[in-house]
Amino acid sequence: MNAQLDPAHDTHATADTGVRVRFRVYRYKAGDRAGHFDEFSLEVAPETTVLDALVAIRTRLDPSLVLRHSCFHASCGTCGMRVNDTEVMACVTKILDLGSATVKVEPIANGALLGDLATDMVDFYARLAAIGRPLIRESEWLPSSIVPEGIEAYNRFESCIECGLCTSACPIVATDPRYIGPAALAAACRAVEEPRGLDPGAIMGLVDDQQGAWRCHAAFECTEACPSAVDPAGAIMALRRRAASGRLRSLIGGRHA
Amino acid sequence: MTESASAPHVVIVGGGGTGGAVAHDLALRGLRVTLVERGELTSGTTGRHHGLLHSGARYAVKDRESAVECIEENRILRRIAPGSFEQNDGLFVAITEADEAYEPLFFESCLASDIPARRVSREEALRLEPNLNPAVRLAVQVPDGTMDAMRMPLRFFATAKRNGATIKPYTEAVAMTIVPSGTGRAVTGVSVLERTSGRRYEIGADLVVNAGGPWAEKIAALAGVDVPIAPSPGVLLAVRGRYANMVINRLHASGDGDIVVPQRELSVIGTSSWLADDPDHLSVPADHVAMMFAEGSALIPAIAKAQVRATWSAARPLIGERGATSGRELSRTFKCFDHAADGVEGFVTISGGKATTLRAMAEAAANVVCAKLGIDSPCRTREYVLAPHTAYYA
Amino acid sequence: MNEQPLERTTPERGTEGASPRRRGLAGWADPRGRRLGGLAFILNRLTGLGVLLYLSFHLVVLSLLARGPSAWDGFVSIAGSPLFLAFDVVLVFGLLFHGLNGIRVTLVGFGLVVERQRAMFVALMIVGAIALAVAAVRIFTAG
Repeated sequence: MNAQLDPAHDTHATADTGVRVRFRVYRYKAGDRAGHFDEFSLEVAPETTVLDALVAIRTRLDPSLVLRHSCFHASCGTCGMRVNDTEVMACVTKILDLGSATVKVEPIANGALLGDLATDMVDFYARLAAIGRPLIRESEWLPSSIVPEGIEAYNRFESCIECGLCTSACPIVATDPRYIGPAALAAACRAVEEPRGLDPGAIMGLVDDQQGAWRCHAAFECTEACPSAVDPAGAIMALRRRAASGRLRSLIGGRHA
Repeated sequence: MTESASAPHVVIVGGGGTGGAVAHDLALRGLRVTLVERGELTSGTTGRHHGLLHSGARYAVKDRESAVECIEENRILRRIAPGSFEQNDGLFVAITEADEAYEPLFFESCLASDIPARRVSREEALRLEPNLNPAVRLAVQVPDGTMDAMRMPLRFFATAKRNGATIKPYTEAVAMTIVPSGTGRAVTGVSVLERTSGRRYEIGADLVVNAGGPWAEKIAALAGVDVPIAPSPGVLLAVRGRYANMVINRLHASGDGDIVVPQRELSVIGTSSWLADDPDHLSVPADHVAMMFAEGSALIPAIAKAQVRATWSAARPLIGERGATSGRELSRTFKCFDHAADGVEGFVTISGGKATTLRAMAEAAANVVCAKLGIDSPCRTREYVLAPHTAYYA
Repeated sequence: MNEQPLERTTPERGTEGASPRRRGLAGWADPRGRRLGGLAFILNRLTGLGVLLYLSFHLVVLSLLARGPSAWDGFVSIAGSPLFLAFDVVLVFGLLFHGLNGIRVTLVGFGLVVERQRAMFVALMIVGAIALAVAAVRIFTAG
């Protein structure tokens, strides 16, 4: 059986590259009174991502490091983190692109911690469940193509990968636990635009609320943080437009009733 | 499902798709199940694949049994996990003369494997998928699809949890309790390290299932047995841009980089293969990445200029030469090793398989487990509709 | 492998909190990692508070009028000092920023001009900068 390939050809190498980077990684275990930072040192290659480094740290330096990851291509949404104070998906964040000799890695904000870098997503999902998380939509790509025999219409997964970067970046979520939050509101907007069995009226009732779409203060940090082009801020404003025009119509309609 | 306190307790080591599906199957049969996984669920190999919901067409010519298995599971998954797939079918595309010559055999083999197939002319192929290589000669439409590599298996975990299974991620198996039994030994428990707290404790088990994928050898070593499974990694490439809505395959006998899978607004190209020693040390070789670009752009030329989203490696579990004669072949794509043959009772390794066949693999493994434990309970996973993935976090 | 062994710093206990649950004040006031919209949000809150403080101050000053000419003259004598004029410029900045950004927030808040909201912000800030410059000149040269 061959040994593994020569690491010199490994585009994501975490050793023997001659370029050393310092990592400050947030650590917290159940029962700790407070978190702290541990420091690690690794050599990296141009393509090495923050996730590659964290996995290497866990494998070679500290197996007690707890972190979430799965798909390695920003599709599963599990490896969201705050790297140098910015919300990113660790698996597609190249270390050398950060332009910093020290990389600070913290878990996403505004969520309870399971440990170290792993956030407990229970609260996040509870809000999505309340809305009714839509997973499939009609595909808007290649509108000129015909659809093959046996297929009614092309479909695709919803863009949202449930990473929590938007709720981490939102200044309102940081201070108000009652705010539904950008992720759930973006899901609500999709559900209202293409219901696929969900009840748009009930969903509008949930989001046309002081703690729903009206709680947002237009910081747009959610849209900037989103790795999947969901544009939650745009979705929130679209919901407001719907809510406002709905009220207006019923107001006008009421006069003629 | 309510299981009685006297029902046997099975501990599954390994939280990938296989482990999840076994947990679901055994929970439905009324057993008590605990699953431990050292990281996040599906963080091993399962989460990393390109997301193909296999029609089986790729195996139709060379491996009829695998093809039949795949198409059957393809249909079952659509039934038990509705709403978890981009269901746009797939095309096997002939680019060269050799590809075109391969088509009649390919087409007939699909039909013989009960895989619905439809011949598509060059013109129609380009109207279905305008970004195809204009040199396309013809194509065959088959029921491929895209699954979410993490969320679809997560439904198995969610359902198992709802039915009483205990799922413990960030919990690493570090030792096994082995006692003398009869003429040999028996595994009676797993010692685990709960990484979120540092706490170490033991979980008692009537039987332990090793569902560790390419880590299966490391886990088996905890029980003092050798299992001939090695990591065989391959490189994958994701580019920005949904260049096709259908899965695009190269119409030839299997090769590297011969598939482009659409996934949200990405296109995922895969894959290659080599042998590695350690599943925790997977490199991403530059020449393999270049190969993915080359093969992908042979199918869809725009890929050559596309923006890279990610490059990464994923390791298949490869059953080695020693395994050719040991272990029982549950099918052509997966195998079960009952380590009673190695003198260790209460320990079983399940390995191999494709992402699409996770349920079938679990059914076969659960049958072995139940036979060993003397449980007479039929498998119900073919019809049981899975809970949504969000239910895992409920 | 030649990397250095594990380096563990002395834990800085208590600096980060038990776990980064809601970030609270840091969640909105910390400008690190923020983009344009987030910085605008922070500044909107600060200018809002600032203008509120100014209003209270202004009412206190006005109450001096009720206390007769000598109290009022005392105030006017310092009101012309350069430091005070500088504060006036800061006040004008606060009013301009809050008002102009407020236009953006209001429009966007009803779902209007959402796609171009960054461009709108930049345009409004340019208008504000010009107005601030004019105001600053007039404040420091008048009387």
